[in-house]
Amino acid sequence: MEDGINSWPFDYVLVANRGEIAVRILKTVKGLGLKGAVVYHAVDAQSVAAQMADVAVEIEGTTPVAAYLDAEQIVAVALSVGAGAIHPGYGFLSENSGFARACVQAGIVFVGPTPEVIDLMGDKVTARAFVSNAGFPVAPSAIEDDDPATFVERARAVGVPLLIKPAAGGGGKGMRVVRDLALLEVEIERARSEGKRYFGDGRLYAERYVENPRHIEVQILGDAHGNVVHLFERECSVQRRFQKIIEETPSPALTPQLRQKICQTAAGIARSAGYQNAGTVEFVYGSGEFYFLEVNTRLQVEHAITEKITGFDLVHEQLRIAAGQPLGYQQSQIKAQGHAIEMRIYAEDPAQGFTPTTGPILKLREPTGDGIRVDSGIAEGLAITANFDPMLAKLIVYGADRNQAMALADKALGDYVLLGSKTNISFLRRVMNHAAFKSGDVHTGFLDANPQIAANPALTKNTLEKLLAAASLATRSMRDEADAVLDIHAAMGAWRN
Amino acid sequence: MYNNAFVLNDEELNVAISRTKNGYLLYIGDDVLPINLHKENDDFSILTVLGKRQAVMLAVHGDDVHIHMGGETYLLKYRNPLDRLAAKSRGAADDFIRAPMPGSIVSLNIAIGEAVSAGQTLLIMESMKMESTILAPRDGVVATVNFEKGQTFDRNAVLLTLEEKA
Amino acid sequence: MKRIESRINTSSSDFRANKENYLKVVEEFRGKQDKARYDRPRRDMERLDKQNKMFVRDRIKQLLDTGTPFLEFSSLAANEAYAGEVPGAGCVTGIGIVAGREVVINAGDASVKGGAWYPLTTKKTVRALDIAIENRLPVVHLCDSAGGFLPLQADLFADKYFSGRIFRNQCLLSEMNAQQVAVVLGHCTAGGAYVPALSDYSVIVRGTGAIFLAGPPLVKAATGEDVTVDELGGCDMHTSVSGTADYPASSEEEAIAMARDIVAQFRRQSKTVIEWQEPEDPYYDATELYGIIPPDIKQQFDMHEVIARIVDASRFHEYQPNYGKTLICGYAHIWGFKVGILANNGVLFDDSSLKGAHFIELCNQNKTPLIFLQNITGFMVGRDYERAGITKDGAKMIMAVACSKVPKFTIMCHGSFGAGNYGMSGRAFDSRLLFSWPHSQISVMGAEQAANTLADVKIRQLARQGKELTNTEIAEIREPVLAEFKRKQSAYWATSEIWDDGILDPVDTRNALGMGLSAALNAPIADLGYGIFRM
Repeated sequence: MEDGINSWPFDYVLVANRGEIAVRILKTVKGLGLKGAVVYHAVDAQSVAAQMADVAVEIEGTTPVAAYLDAEQIVAVALSVGAGAIHPGYGFLSENSGFARACVQAGIVFVGPTPEVIDLMGDKVTARAFVSNAGFPVAPSAIEDDDPATFVERARAVGVPLLIKPAAGGGGKGMRVVRDLALLEVEIERARSEGKRYFGDGRLYAERYVENPRHIEVQILGDAHGNVVHLFERECSVQRRFQKIIEETPSPALTPQLRQKICQTAAGIARSAGYQNAGTVEFVYGSGEFYFLEVNTRLQVEHAITEKITGFDLVHEQLRIAAGQPLGYQQSQIKAQGHAIEMRIYAEDPAQGFTPTTGPILKLREPTGDGIRVDSGIAEGLAITANFDPMLAKLIVYGADRNQAMALADKALGDYVLLGSKTNISFLRRVMNHAAFKSGDVHTGFLDANPQIAANPALTKNTLEKLLAAASLATRSMRDEADAVLDIHAAMGAWRN
Repeated sequence: MYNNAFVLNDEELNVAISRTKNGYLLYIGDDVLPINLHKENDDFSILTVLGKRQAVMLAVHGDDVHIHMGGETYLLKYRNPLDRLAAKSRGAADDFIRAPMPGSIVSLNIAIGEAVSAGQTLLIMESMKMESTILAPRDGVVATVNFEKGQTFDRNAVLLTLEEKA
Repeated sequence: MKRIESRINTSSSDFRANKENYLKVVEEFRGKQDKARYDRPRRDMERLDKQNKMFVRDRIKQLLDTGTPFLEFSSLAANEAYAGEVPGAGCVTGIGIVAGREVVINAGDASVKGGAWYPLTTKKTVRALDIAIENRLPVVHLCDSAGGFLPLQADLFADKYFSGRIFRNQCLLSEMNAQQVAVVLGHCTAGGAYVPALSDYSVIVRGTGAIFLAGPPLVKAATGEDVTVDELGGCDMHTSVSGTADYPASSEEEAIAMARDIVAQFRRQSKTVIEWQEPEDPYYDATELYGIIPPDIKQQFDMHEVIARIVDASRFHEYQPNYGKTLICGYAHIWGFKVGILANNGVLFDDSSLKGAHFIELCNQNKTPLIFLQNITGFMVGRDYERAGITKDGAKMIMAVACSKVPKFTIMCHGSFGAGNYGMSGRAFDSRLLFSWPHSQISVMGAEQAANTLADVKIRQLARQGKELTNTEIAEIREPVLAEFKRKQSAYWATSEIWDDGILDPVDTRNALGMGLSAALNAPIADLGYGIFRM
């Protein structure tokens, strides 16, 4: 897209983030001829982002994470280097309205929505109420506290399947799924008793239960002039511990009609909220129904797959919008083509409950080739530490259709070499080759329901032999011992007289 | 049977290798396989097992051997025979805590019957106007304490003894 | 150097008959060897198990580098002694590879009489340490012995080559920087206590290992002191108080692993350089030796055929091919090492003796180790030969052999009778290693001749008394002598008495020589010096 900008209102953009997203943002910033600055904590001094930025400024904190959460310090850095804009990336301060306000107050452009929209969408209860009031679908529900006397009747009105959960609860404890309204009162009492037992609080909450729910979200862009478009949906149903690990677009679950409906709904929500900049409207989808979940007021981790199918550079769009430019295109001009899949590369051990792993990056060979994109913040010689989220990089593949994309994903994962710390690469490959994933038949509980995918697969005798052979010959103390044997004795072998 | 081992997916596998005229042999259980490994360049090596060739990428860090092979990554942890065998038979070792030099007891930090863990301070002694700390060499239970606070002892005196935890 | 052209027809009836016979010989040998190595009273094996001790063969397996050779010495020592109750003389010795280094292993076998030292145990041990000294090899002692076998103490304690020699040899080894590590796996009592004490390094196993001059009962008897084994000479006492032992280990496996790590610290000897080339297997198959060796000890065979099945590529440079043809002399390579070979192809005459003496001098001149392949009935006798000086020519060869400085190796390939044994570097002439093929025979003369000689003496004695013997009476004198001679000239008797370093299946000859040659190069080759050759 033409950006229509001859001179930017800012020529220095400070990236208030680290890792792959800092690298990703800097690439676009520098590509636009702008200067990129980055803040870094001492543990990231050698990071790819710090090396590639025009200016890298060290920030301090009681912990490395605390440094990246220190709004005051970061704004001060921006002022000191003369940065006219701050891109917060995702995580850290990206959805912190206080930070957005502090930027504005310091005369710095915050690349993201207005603080008011962040506040509105930041609170799930107000966001839900806002969306519901604006006439968009939220999951039907009944809250006991609203009027305890009518709770059962209101719950009955929500209909089945119905999920009853303790108002004070969490972690699935005390949750009852009702599929037959005749059992409603019995289940309510059971849930209440479990709630009392677990949380010392018997108050309840009921909402429509979505069987095998899928996570579908829509990318939206809004400018300061009231224009809002969507850039289609992304499906992020493959999750572990409530975190997305594989995302794709288009969603294999949606019909064209439903796709249009869900995307228009998202755009409508954004429009009602007066949304500016890039954002994502998340929905839960199942059995032909979708309900609003929440709005993420920032660039998503998985934005790259949208870029792949639409040809947009979302960071570029963010900067244009932040610079006050109108979108300059209509919804009808935005086309999606092909299929993109993103896989998040984590330093973790899937077989050990996805516990994070650490270690030096001894060898790193990221896959390359047509249709393959790797957004990475790591490099050989650096180390993976426990200081931050264990996501290391994102592998994005793009193919003409889903089958092509999956085949490319399988190959790229196989070619992805990261030695020094355990990663989830092999696990991702197993998911990619799982029949359910291949047929697009997944839901957010898919990995929990199939724990065998996370377990280390049994090795064939042949593989084991090869591994032990390579490891033995690569282990100096073993190889040196074998090599210490004189030629004559090596040639004789285990001869006995 | 073989004293070198690798831990792979929580399983310890005993192996040995030996050199032959033009390669190596790998011993696993009763199997003996001809193997070889040639480093082609920084990126990959050619592994040969039973005459079949396979490209592998390897990285070694301490005892960790990381292998990328056939599109999968594996981690094998090497266990040296001396470490393995020492760990296997820790027990009666270090039952007698002896004085490293003549001196006197400054303070006793444990009592008879008390469970102690390796590295825990057992007592502080003074010798040549210097205090030194005697640490528990292993986990165990204090069986006897042979000196009281202020008492002096000679070099090699048994200060206290440990026994196995019940 | 050209290849020997074999004249053996492997499809001939002679070849097949010889082979069939020899396979039985080898089978008998392997049977005896297996029995001596592994056949133990169940009670003894159970005792080891109960004591948490490994069988000596398993200890050695753990000690050696995986996939490397072990040249065992005298596996059938004492097999014909002590009613056969002390197989292998109660110990295992040999040259093995530990941490890549050639070491002599001296391991007590506690499954035989608790590892007690019999006279032949000490002889075998002393011989192993002699081999270490001659070749400057490090030694690993795996100590597990109940001490000297008291009923036979007179035959093992006091004399020059008895048990004291073990400790004397240990001291000399240390002096020549051939390092030793002792692994104390059982009790080392009295003299045995000096094995670890005289070793440069020692490891001791907690619980089973102990070192003391006198065990608790003897201490009680001598001084009235009540003391436990652990207090008196256990692992922790010796490694933390007395300093008699260096490294404590919690198990036999750990102790042996430590010993391996200790040997890995030894400085490697820089080897004596001799002519060497890339080794090559013999062109002719060694198993054909079975079809070459005739069943009758008196029957000759062409020793070229044996050489062709031992040396690299079967290639041989023959020296003086047309002179003194009953002694083959020439150069070849074994496992790449250049060697000079002397092989009997008949009785030694004056010319063959002179040729042999000359060739030994040549090999000393160019530092080429010598291989003696014995099949000798002796030097030629008779008036003409005495007049030609056969005795002084034989003396020249013996002088050359005795004063030769290059490493010598001897293989008893068939017969070894009379003074020819000396000229061909018999046991007394300090070959680095001497092995016998299982069918070989050795004695001062052939059994028949000896029996006849003894019978003649008796007949003449009686004749002087005017008595004449019937054929039956002659047979009665002759037969027992013949039987006794046959028993004591067999390779099994020789090896039981440790007149050799063990019996070899002929097909193993090449490897045994290769191991021996490689080991021998750990010692320097001295400059040549000779006594007086009678001219």
